[in-house]
Amino acid sequence: MPQRRTGSTDRPEASDWERWGVDPAWNRRVTLTTSAGTVEWSILDTGHGSKGTIVCVHGNPTWGYLWRNLLRESAHGWRVIAVDQTGMGWSQRAGSRTLEQRVEELVAFCQQEAPGPLILAAHDWGGPVAMGAAGELDVRAVVLTNTAVAKPQSVSVPPLIAVARSAVGLTCARTPLFVRGTSHMTDRSHREALNAPYRSAARRSAVADFVADIPLQPNDTSFVALERSASNFEALRSRSIPVLLLWGGSDPVFHDRFLADLLTRAPHADVHRFADAGHLVALDEPIGPMVTRWLDTHLANGTITLAESANPAAHIREPHEPTSMHPVGEDSTDFAVTTANTFSPITTALMERASDPSCAYEGPDGARSWSALNAAAERIARRLVRHGVQPGDRIALLVPPGIQLLEAVHGAWRAGAVVVIADSALGASGLRSAFRSATPAWVIGTPKNLLAAKILRMTPGAGAFSMGRLPGAVDLSGSALRSNPNEFSLRLPNLDPDSAAAVVHTSGATGPAKPVVYTHAALAAQRDVVREAFTLDPAHGFISSFAPFILLGPALGVPCVLPEGDVLAPAELDFDQFADACRSSDSDVAWLSPASARTIVRTANGRQVPLRLVMLAGAPIPLALAEDIHRVTSAEVRAPYGMTEAMPVTDGIGAMNRVPWGTDTGRALSGAEIIIVPFREPRLAQVATGCWGEILVSCPWMRSGYDRRWGVDESSTIERDGKLFHRTGDVGAIDDQGHLIQLGRVQHVITTATQALPCAVVEQSIADQISAEVAAVGVGPDGAQVVVVVVSGTGSLRTADSELTADVRAASPHSIAAVLIGELPVDIRHQSKIRRDVLAESAAELLAGR
Amino acid sequence: MKVLVTGGSSLLGATVANLLVTRGDEVTCFQRKHSGTHATDHLGDITDASSLLAAASGHEAVIHLAALVVPKAPWSRMQAVNIEGTRNARSAAEQCGRFVHISSPSVAFHDVASVGEGANAPLYAGRDGYTRSKAIAEQEVLTGPRVPTVVIRPHLVWGPGDTQLIGRIVDRARSHRLALPDHGRALVDTTYVDDAASAIVAALDVCHPGADAVNHAWVVTGSEPRPLRDLVDSILHAAGVTERPRSVPAPLAAAAGRVLERLWPGAEPPLTHFAARQLSVAHWFDQRETQRVLRWSPTVGLDEGFRRLADWFAASS
Repeated sequence: MPQRRTGSTDRPEASDWERWGVDPAWNRRVTLTTSAGTVEWSILDTGHGSKGTIVCVHGNPTWGYLWRNLLRESAHGWRVIAVDQTGMGWSQRAGSRTLEQRVEELVAFCQQEAPGPLILAAHDWGGPVAMGAAGELDVRAVVLTNTAVAKPQSVSVPPLIAVARSAVGLTCARTPLFVRGTSHMTDRSHREALNAPYRSAARRSAVADFVADIPLQPNDTSFVALERSASNFEALRSRSIPVLLLWGGSDPVFHDRFLADLLTRAPHADVHRFADAGHLVALDEPIGPMVTRWLDTHLANGTITLAESANPAAHIREPHEPTSMHPVGEDSTDFAVTTANTFSPITTALMERASDPSCAYEGPDGARSWSALNAAAERIARRLVRHGVQPGDRIALLVPPGIQLLEAVHGAWRAGAVVVIADSALGASGLRSAFRSATPAWVIGTPKNLLAAKILRMTPGAGAFSMGRLPGAVDLSGSALRSNPNEFSLRLPNLDPDSAAAVVHTSGATGPAKPVVYTHAALAAQRDVVREAFTLDPAHGFISSFAPFILLGPALGVPCVLPEGDVLAPAELDFDQFADACRSSDSDVAWLSPASARTIVRTANGRQVPLRLVMLAGAPIPLALAEDIHRVTSAEVRAPYGMTEAMPVTDGIGAMNRVPWGTDTGRALSGAEIIIVPFREPRLAQVATGCWGEILVSCPWMRSGYDRRWGVDESSTIERDGKLFHRTGDVGAIDDQGHLIQLGRVQHVITTATQALPCAVVEQSIADQISAEVAAVGVGPDGAQVVVVVVSGTGSLRTADSELTADVRAASPHSIAAVLIGELPVDIRHQSKIRRDVLAESAAELLAGR
Repeated sequence: MKVLVTGGSSLLGATVANLLVTRGDEVTCFQRKHSGTHATDHLGDITDASSLLAAASGHEAVIHLAALVVPKAPWSRMQAVNIEGTRNARSAAEQCGRFVHISSPSVAFHDVASVGEGANAPLYAGRDGYTRSKAIAEQEVLTGPRVPTVVIRPHLVWGPGDTQLIGRIVDRARSHRLALPDHGRALVDTTYVDDAASAIVAALDVCHPGADAVNHAWVVTGSEPRPLRDLVDSILHAAGVTERPRSVPAPLAAAAGRVLERLWPGAEPPLTHFAARQLSVAHWFDQRETQRVLRWSPTVGLDEGFRRLADWFAASS
């Protein structure tokens, strides 16, 4: 049990530091003299660093301990200093300080203890202090965690702060309420250390002063100082100083709209948002490695050596002076090949058919002609612009797939807005987290969805547009629009190929849902490649069991059909619904998820529905399924390879080829490049033809990045030969025909003591021989795993009998530790991807015994 | 090389002795009764220090396998054979120059699953008299050894002629008394006797100053973990036994073991708590480091082992 400290103690002992996981040698005391007087600070200073110095400024009421994880990164060449501000942590209690005085003290500290170029890191109210000081120091990079430099318009004072302020003496000084409240925002293991410096009312007086000093009105003492911090922060962009915002997405104080505010002031900032972390993200997440990785990518040679900074002041007021850093924004992840001259935006095709009375969309919710769809999109765009939507504004779409989605998306695009789309398969909490993290300025929804969103606070602060009548929201419905003819005089913006067009959340079928950003150029390129590769016919059209794919229809100028049935349960689309939809719409192409294809095959009972082309997408397609769907449709069957981040990548020709392992996804589409790199070594040379490795993809219609996930962006993007590649997380090989053979996911590769085995390599021969679906998973520590084969069966997971075990072993050239039988878990979205990670965990638990 | 092997009448001891003889070493087996090996026997009791020293004279290495392997012998016997006996063997080895001590993975069994466990430093546990005495012995052997010393912990050794593991499983299955905890789902490493023997010989070969293997305990297995039930099925199949084990819930097996070991009059109760727990949780090991330092890997393996076992049953019936 940690011993309780007494209130009178004002210095931790070595054993305290050790218990808190802080090297006692880091702690020392320094004396500063400023206009506010002389004060003694307690600091944590790792004392050396060949790459440079990071000075960390905590907020209220924390202290230098907050940066423990970053302090430990000193091992990677950085000197890390975490200060305790005056009256805070273990520094001297020396009377109250205004923001201006705190800034002056930080400047004095840095000049005295870490002269020359440095990195500033700050949290909470340390942010304004650090940004105030940034104007006076040779700052080379800035790292901020949940902070603010101003209260964003339309955001009220965080309730917790408001309460604390209204009774500041009671909440902050006389009782430990504010201190305890803060330390309860992170794991309990941090509480003792966070509370330790603030055990008596006398030791907490600065906590109260800090809260009282928060300026809310122009006549508050520190209002001017805060404005200076904000303008210093905004100046970082013109000074080419890179900014990293590490954000706890579950912070009730500095929530996502404060992040959005910071981003409007520093649009060049890199952001990594940790969805589950709270206010004290620096303690909740291992931020240290991410900070140093980020610094390494932004600082030339990974250092900020003192050489060129004999006179640090010379650096400050010349914004365009070259620094030792890469210019911000130059390494843009932009794959645009379409130049502005030839650029034809995603909105073009619909506009071109503006006077076409034929059917553009047909679905359970009705049908729309090209002209009606175009008119609605145009009206919505004008209505959005009239009510304040600016180019680049984000609009969350809470509209079900169908007519309203097509109208809203095309309307938003014409208004120059960025649509934020999340799949309802994410569930209420997944949707909430997806929309909140994107901080859309606007939301378009059905009245029902808007009400639900309001109750769940999905899009706080966003201006609402409703697809029907709803109090408090602008009505976008046809009747309301017709009554405002003067909107037609508004000019709609030209669409810029390089600006963002959409934030789309991945399904989460193969991991946590990630927000993917597409530019207009990427969407246009995607439209072009689909049109060319799959020769979609404007006279016939296509049917899609996969609701989001209908967005391609108006984009391509090809009629699209959404069949009857629950769009969220693709497995329930049966043969009759499918055949009805095909016949009534005269479609000759179908885009099916594997789950719906299976159901259609199962319910066909010997009947046929002739089609020209069937595309299967969403998961690796087993050969048998391709053959079955061919029997039902007599169509050419294709299974193109692709993912939310880049769709499609291959032509899918080869879906009916028998290959020894995995699935044949065909050749790379024209414009797409696929390379296979060694497993876990994506920077090494490509592997030889026929050898497997991780699949890297580059194409003009690829995502530009992940939204506010710097760490994901960085780890899933690789530059090779001047080109940016997306790490797909899939493994596969390119055969001598140039076909991409997909072998499963990287994380499903089984690593035994002697070899690494993609799951498909183990599964295929067994599945063929015993005529049952099987999944192979690795159990045990990485690099020493054993192969466990699970045969699909009913009931919970258990060991197979000796006969089946022997059959499975006989069917495989690999050493198989255990054969299990039971239900194979599949993903909710596609109902076809086997969740081998879940299965591996269950298998490991079973085989561990109890 | 002239090697003294203690405990040469056991299945593993005899196999080690024969393997050394086959490759041309001069081997003396030291135990109370004749070993039946191709080595020279020197009969004696491991608890008799002077007799062991005399037997070891002129040898270059001692491989110490002799041990009392019963769960419920009086502690004085455990101490005399497993602790004192090991001290005697070590003294003998100090005369000779090399010491290979055979221990047991159960000295580090903490009643939790070992899943792909690496070659970590031992954390001793002693849950019954046997493992406690073996743990003390191993600890002493590894504390300040005067000659190069390698400790080998062979994991669940089995093979033709094995009365300990195979014999009991077959007997009980035949008489419908064999039950496995939770359908025998735990993933368990085993070692075919020839593979265990070759690992011990490999340990002897790398037992010289400065080698990575010395002054450390190495778990040795066949690196083919399988669910317990799989292993039992294979053994019964090899023995031509058609009866199959029943299943008992693991906690019930542990409780039954606890009761039986207290109430059972003899030294070998049909089930102990320790045995029930060992059969209920996984224990398999990451052998990469072990195989590297011993410059050894198993060559027979499970499937070939079961074939040989079947042949042996066929020949002996």
